Amino acid sequence: MRRNIKKHINRKTVLVLMVLAVFFLLFTKLVYIQIFLHDKIRCNVDKMVNRQIVEISKRGDILDTKGNILATSVKKYNIFLDPQVIEDFSNVKDSLFTNGIQIKEKDLNDFGNRAYVPIVYNVDSSIADNIRSTKLKGVGFESKYVRSYPEGKMLSNILGITGCDGNGLEGIEKICNNCLLGSRVTSNMHRDGRGYIIQNKVIDQSKICGQNVILSIDRNIQYIAEQGLRKSFEKYQAKKAICIVQNPKTGSILAMVSLPDFDHLEKIKDLKVLRNAAISDIYEPGSTFKIVTVASALEEGKVKLSDTFYLENGKLKIADHIIKDDHKIDGMVSLSRVMEMSSNIAMVKIAKKLGNNDFYEYIRKFGFYSLTGIDLPGEAKGLLLDIKEWNALTLPTISFGQGIGVTALQMINAFSAIANDGVLLKPYIVQKICNCNDDSPQKIFNPMEIRRVVSKETAYTIKKILKNAVDLGTGKSAKVKGYTVAGKTGTAQKIDPLTKTYSKKFYTASFCGMLPAMEPEFVILVIIDEPKGQSYYASSVASPVFASIAQSIAQYLEIPKDDLGDKKVNRKF
Amino acid sequence: MHKSFFFILLLIISVFVYLWQQNTSLRFAYKISALQTEYNNIIAENDNLRLKINSMLALEKMYKIAKDKNFITADEQNIVYIE
Repeated sequence: MRRNIKKHINRKTVLVLMVLAVFFLLFTKLVYIQIFLHDKIRCNVDKMVNRQIVEISKRGDILDTKGNILATSVKKYNIFLDPQVIEDFSNVKDSLFTNGIQIKEKDLNDFGNRAYVPIVYNVDSSIADNIRSTKLKGVGFESKYVRSYPEGKMLSNILGITGCDGNGLEGIEKICNNCLLGSRVTSNMHRDGRGYIIQNKVIDQSKICGQNVILSIDRNIQYIAEQGLRKSFEKYQAKKAICIVQNPKTGSILAMVSLPDFDHLEKIKDLKVLRNAAISDIYEPGSTFKIVTVASALEEGKVKLSDTFYLENGKLKIADHIIKDDHKIDGMVSLSRVMEMSSNIAMVKIAKKLGNNDFYEYIRKFGFYSLTGIDLPGEAKGLLLDIKEWNALTLPTISFGQGIGVTALQMINAFSAIANDGVLLKPYIVQKICNCNDDSPQKIFNPMEIRRVVSKETAYTIKKILKNAVDLGTGKSAKVKGYTVAGKTGTAQKIDPLTKTYSKKFYTASFCGMLPAMEPEFVILVIIDEPKGQSYYASSVASPVFASIAQSIAQYLEIPKDDLGDKKVNRKF
Repeated sequence: MHKSFFFILLLIISVFVYLWQQNTSLRFAYKISALQTEYNNIIAENDNLRLKINSMLALEKMYKIAKDKNFITADEQNIVYIE
């Protein structure tokens, strides 16, 4: 009996010890895993379960002054295949084919053993969702924002382009890049055993997107200007053509066209088309510059409106050079008539009365040879000899707009100063920067006065002279039915790059005018560079373009007709 | 006896509440993630549609359509202004 009990105790003890040993081993293993392998296992699990993703925000939109979209970003998908994961290629092929995507097995083989074979780029989200819903193995999706320009070619030089990294490279896209780019938010997400994803924070895409940029450009005015200019650009097979429409009361740019331009959808072969000639290219303005000469002399009291000039029978010799007038006028001619007939000789005489220093000062006061400060990249300063280097011919030639290089923007801004009663304003194209989600303005750009260039009286006199130039002078073809127009033609000779002298073949025809003449609502500058054909004169090349553009814009802006000579009145019911 | 019964019941309820809230929060997390994806897709779709509308209303396109349909610019005298 005792022996049996002893045996029983021994067995029981052994069993308990064995169980304890097993538990001890398990406990040891647990301690080893939980304490000693803790970091390593945690790290591996984190790698499998947690993922850090950078939420790329949508780039802000560019809108015109009336809220029409000029540039926007839309989500597109690139679809790729992983040939090593695909189970049934024919199934994948059929599924993609039903969504309009065709692939060949041979194409996949060309990629060798790579796990990433792109098959289609920039697919709409609806197509991507269709394919995703089939849950095919080996088909992957990459989302990205693609920049789109719904108006096509319109404003291409102004809006610019973005690079493949989404950063602006030219135009508004470049200058407003920091505003347009949204914030990048990093978030963590967890993936469970079945592959479902849980994000640790909710990110509202509309809250992290970039700011919207609202331009002063009016899409309709831009279209009118572009259509009008393009016709002439093609008709005269010109090298370049520029048109700017500006509001003289605010300095805001309503339209800006530079031709040739480019289409965002097409591949850019020549980088020159990216150039915004309206602000980057300089040209010799010719007779349009005469307003600077006359306004300066009037302001300084060197000439009066009643003064008369002898025009030397159309030829004036200065420092072995002969300056000619295109329109020969006999006898003594009034200041207004001088501008009507665009006399170079009279300008030389007026500028001489003014003197080098005063003339140089006024050229600078009108904003030439300095940046206007417009919110666009690549603005040129222009060309003007330092006053110390002026010779006997410098003052006479500059007086009628040769021997000086200006940008189209500088020229129109000078005309706008006259239209704005002698006050020069800073031109601007970016009107507002708004939040993308609630359109609340973050920054508003108000008109900025630079300086008073001439008095209100002088500006008024110049407007009257310019009105006469259109009514009775070289600018007759710029007349607009029902409206008074003030403006000036300009036909400038260009330097022949071969002979380095003024060419008799290459000209720049321009017209700058304002409507209505005495209380201008807008100023338009039209430049046709190197027009080919029978006539190169501004009066037959540039002025008609101005007239057609101004007519349409005046109608569009519903400017009341002010030309009393036109007796036709609209019937209103 | 009663005390220990209530104690066990309280313990069970506490454990149940803890497990329930864990489970519910997880279910909500899944739901929020799914809704978030859906919301982002709707925003993307909305952007796409907005672009399509703007592309259709592009002035160049409208001009081409008008030209194809032989529309002409109305003569100024034929325009009737309604106030």
